[in-house]
Amino acid sequence: MSNNDANDSKGGLLDTPIQYHIQLKKGDVSDFVILPGDPGRVEFIAEHFDSAELVADNREYKTMTGSYKGRSVTVTSTGIGCPSTAIAVEELANVGVKTFVRLGTSGAMQEYTRIGDKVIATGAVRYEGTSVQYMPIEFPAVASHDMVSALIKSAKNSKITHHVGIVQSKDSFYGQHNPESMPIAAELLQKWDAWVKGGVLCSEMEAATLFVVGSYRKLRTGAVLLVAGDQARQESLTKEEYTQNMSDSINMILESSLDIKEGE
Amino acid sequence: MTVQKVEQVKHLPIKLGEVARYVIVPGDPNRVPLIANSLENPVHQGQNREFNAFKGTYKGTEISVVSTGIGCPSTAIAVEELSYIGAEVLIRIGTSGSVDNSAKKGEIFIATAAVRDDGTSKQYIPIEFPAIASHDLTENLIKASKALGIPTKIGICQSKDSFFGEVEPNRMPVAPYLENKWKAWQGGGVGASEMEAATLFTLAHIKKLMAGAVLAVEVSDAETVNNMTRIVLEAINYLEEDRNVE
Repeated sequence: MSNNDANDSKGGLLDTPIQYHIQLKKGDVSDFVILPGDPGRVEFIAEHFDSAELVADNREYKTMTGSYKGRSVTVTSTGIGCPSTAIAVEELANVGVKTFVRLGTSGAMQEYTRIGDKVIATGAVRYEGTSVQYMPIEFPAVASHDMVSALIKSAKNSKITHHVGIVQSKDSFYGQHNPESMPIAAELLQKWDAWVKGGVLCSEMEAATLFVVGSYRKLRTGAVLLVAGDQARQESLTKEEYTQNMSDSINMILESSLDIKEGE
Repeated sequence: MTVQKVEQVKHLPIKLGEVARYVIVPGDPNRVPLIANSLENPVHQGQNREFNAFKGTYKGTEISVVSTGIGCPSTAIAVEELSYIGAEVLIRIGTSGSVDNSAKKGEIFIATAAVRDDGTSKQYIPIEFPAIASHDLTENLIKASKALGIPTKIGICQSKDSFFGEVEPNRMPVAPYLENKWKAWQGGGVGASEMEAATLFTLAHIKKLMAGAVLAVEVSDAETVNNMTRIVLEAINYLEEDRNVE
């Protein structure tokens, strides 16, 4: 059974060639897609392609497709959080995407993860509500081994300061940034402490569901998280630093795409 | 977290200074001498309970073989005590059952991560945390299997606590629970089912050790064990070469 045929059943509201939320059909996208959270970042990412054109823009899902060094590439924004990310991944898989690399920002969780560093995620803490509607919580949210290897190779070739390891995905942004104010403060603080002791590198909001849905639908997944803020040190990137670091991360992902054979 | 070194440990038959940086960790104490046979100059260091210990060398690198016993509780004890006495890289060699049929009887499965269907790892870190093998070690296991021409499958395994809950779920009072979960693992692309990897991977990550696992699917014959051992020894050799370069 191919899980990629999951939405091919006939007769439903979703049974149309144009995917309901992302407004894309087969042929609109590459097999390799970069997934930022922010639709406002899509154009900036596409500026790093050799060519690109806008193919859809609906809700938080903005998509541009083009090519990089002769390889086709697409960028689609997911919006913030795992619920809208699951929709993007499902619908992009329905129109033929096989490889998904999230590009996002994150907050530092270790003393040695500093702003400006890039984190290549091998897996994610499933502290979110979406992936448990796919797989029981015991299942690991894990990136694809070959995608992680391709990203590491690309980072090394470009001499980019990077870490490889586990990230945390959460649903509540303000539960992380202002946990004391929440009625479940004790749980938030105790779990955060456990992730830190467990060696989790940084905190973000989409990777866990990307990885779990990817395992279920047999897709290749990976994630690069730029450490943009550091709560403990009260540091964050300036606008110029952010642009430069985001640019480096985009180039790193584009170079890694050349190691992934088109259509596989 | 820096691991505190201690001189004597409670369960293992070896102490500080007697373990190699690299340790092969099968479940079965009787499989320890079989694996150790592939080393140069293997020495039996002792056995206490299910923990049987050998040490030898491969291409000049010291390697230990220490059994964990069946299940995550005794595996956690072995991992803790091995790290206390100086081990840094732990590689499980084990047997497993097929789950989604992607890995077939007789094949060798390299686990990238594990379903935490065990009780032990939850007493270390909340269940949302993923049990993941070390990427670098897994990369070298894959590289070694290719260099040796031994075919393998790569993917996620499931670690359970109840052996008979897997093989005879219907007779368990929690039969529907077991069957629903098993269907989820099949749908999610889990390749192999075994009983130690989830705690090995979780605990190793917390303690900043490297960990990986190579599993035989539904067989435990001498040739398959020998092939798994060859993969693991060659991967250790690659790791050691990389270390000497750095």
